[in-house]
Amino acid sequence: MDRLKQKELELIAGRCRRNVLRMIEAGHHGHMGGALSCIDIVTYLYFRGMKIDPRNPEWEERDRFLLSAGHKCMAQYAVLAEKGYFAKEVLDTYGSLHSYIPGHPDMHKLAGIEANTGALGHGLSIATGMALGLKDSGKNARVYVVMGDGELAEGSNWEAAAAAAHHHADNLIVFVDFNGLQISGRVQDVMNMTPISEKFRAFGWNVQDIDGNNMREIEAALKMTVSDNHNKPSAIIAHTVKAKGISFAENKAQYHFWTPKQGELEAAVREIEDNIQRLEKEVQKLCQN
Amino acid sequence: MSELRDPRKTFGAAVAEVAEKDKRIVVLSADSGGSSGFKQFAADHPDRYYEFGIMEQGVTGIASGMATVGKIPVFCAIAPFVTCRSYEMFRNDLGYMKQNVKIVGRNGGFTYSDLGATHHSLEDFAIMRMVPGAVVLCPQDPGEIRQAVRAMLAHDGPVYMRIGNPPIPELFPEQPFEIGKGRVLREGDDLTIISTGTCTKEVLEAAEMLSEKGLDVRVIGMPTIAPIDVDIIRKAAKETKRIVTVEEHYVHGGLGSAVAEVVTEYCPVPVKMIGVPRVYAVTGPYNELLHYYGLDAEGILKTVSEFAAKQHS
Repeated sequence: MDRLKQKELELIAGRCRRNVLRMIEAGHHGHMGGALSCIDIVTYLYFRGMKIDPRNPEWEERDRFLLSAGHKCMAQYAVLAEKGYFAKEVLDTYGSLHSYIPGHPDMHKLAGIEANTGALGHGLSIATGMALGLKDSGKNARVYVVMGDGELAEGSNWEAAAAAAHHHADNLIVFVDFNGLQISGRVQDVMNMTPISEKFRAFGWNVQDIDGNNMREIEAALKMTVSDNHNKPSAIIAHTVKAKGISFAENKAQYHFWTPKQGELEAAVREIEDNIQRLEKEVQKLCQN
Repeated sequence: MSELRDPRKTFGAAVAEVAEKDKRIVVLSADSGGSSGFKQFAADHPDRYYEFGIMEQGVTGIASGMATVGKIPVFCAIAPFVTCRSYEMFRNDLGYMKQNVKIVGRNGGFTYSDLGATHHSLEDFAIMRMVPGAVVLCPQDPGEIRQAVRAMLAHDGPVYMRIGNPPIPELFPEQPFEIGKGRVLREGDDLTIISTGTCTKEVLEAAEMLSEKGLDVRVIGMPTIAPIDVDIIRKAAKETKRIVTVEEHYVHGGLGSAVAEVVTEYCPVPVKMIGVPRVYAVTGPYNELLHYYGLDAEGILKTVSEFAAKQHS
């Protein structure tokens, strides 16, 4: 990935972060921490990684994206809006009656949502079924999943992990959003599921560890899942920063679910918008060169 | 009495027959396919038969995913393991997502009699009928199993069907199955017995004995628990003034409750529910359990006679 492409993607991710804050402004609260830790991955997938058509969300040949950790849905809504799946004004309905973008995603309300996740430990099974179904229907489509790290304590995930490997679902790619924090504190203190990589490897998966807030590393890891998958599903353990992009909230478990205190939202908006402006200038400069 | 047939083999053969024409149908197994009547299907269609081992939660979610790409998954295993254990997957991944998946609980009720309460399923109607949009079926004889399989596979949406284990006789001529409809198996005006599943055989015997005693009993076979047939219940309440329900299920939450919900709202008449009290059932031979809980013809005769007498006094 050249530097211009990298900065362009970072800029889009910045705008998506702003979209998340727009939803918080509307709904007055939300699962912000995890949304911002995985949003670079979600941005990359929709803007570069996946075979999709926003004008035809039901296109049969499309790659599928599932947010197993459904509470991070503001990340997906933010990216879908930025990609043109729906008008950005819809973001202002977050938290309101009959909103198309509820606090956990609903496939029957919003085009682009593939599954009704939210209860943790469901997404990987659904994705495994999709991946096997697509393969056996002769479709060359892939299924991408973002899971939480705290979510890995749900036993049902490991049923799916075994099934995906056993049935050679090599079109299944999982990102574990390993920000290290869940609602009660550090994942390692609440229920230590580390080492995560070794667990997936032992279940028969390809595994890579990357910086999940780095576009270049996300791209490189995804290339490996195509070129070097050994007929196995792939797990990308994405080391991320919870609430990435809002410095006062970064790496703090209390921002898992955020009801902004006085001045917090304004400070967050300022920081995200400053970052967008900085990236716009960088992109402009790189374009001129 | 006709020849007895294995409900599981009847079920598996019926699915295989439809699947010959409809290639979207796939069979999922949690180490359970062979005992669910799918041995032949697995041999004939290895590309449409998926073995996952013992993971009912995982398989239910996987079935949901397969349905999103146009497959029609059929997943059959021991009833409590595809209802209680994986309930949230049924509720969210199938019900909430409106997926075209068929979950079949075999060895339902306490047909796994001596294996004990872990293997009994006496609350499946209650919990499965609470899922919005879910269809809950419990066919009464082999012909109805065959027809219910066709109806369930033609229906677009999540279905739970319960079948038993012991061989069962044909009770009535086979006819097309309409989801959500009960049918009158015996006319009568003194009292109505509404029954589901294999209990209907005992009910028909009891009705015959009641008739000899001068009680003219209407028998309604109700193979669909959800959506319940409101019209046939209202008509029976209006015309016979008393209703008894019979099911191999807890007296709470199942067919009896579904009938009582209709009766209390539209046509209040006395209702007596015959079923298993809310306990972990005793173990032993199946027929002895039926007798113990008053679910054989003799027990039904006794309870209905007492109920009818009480209503007259």
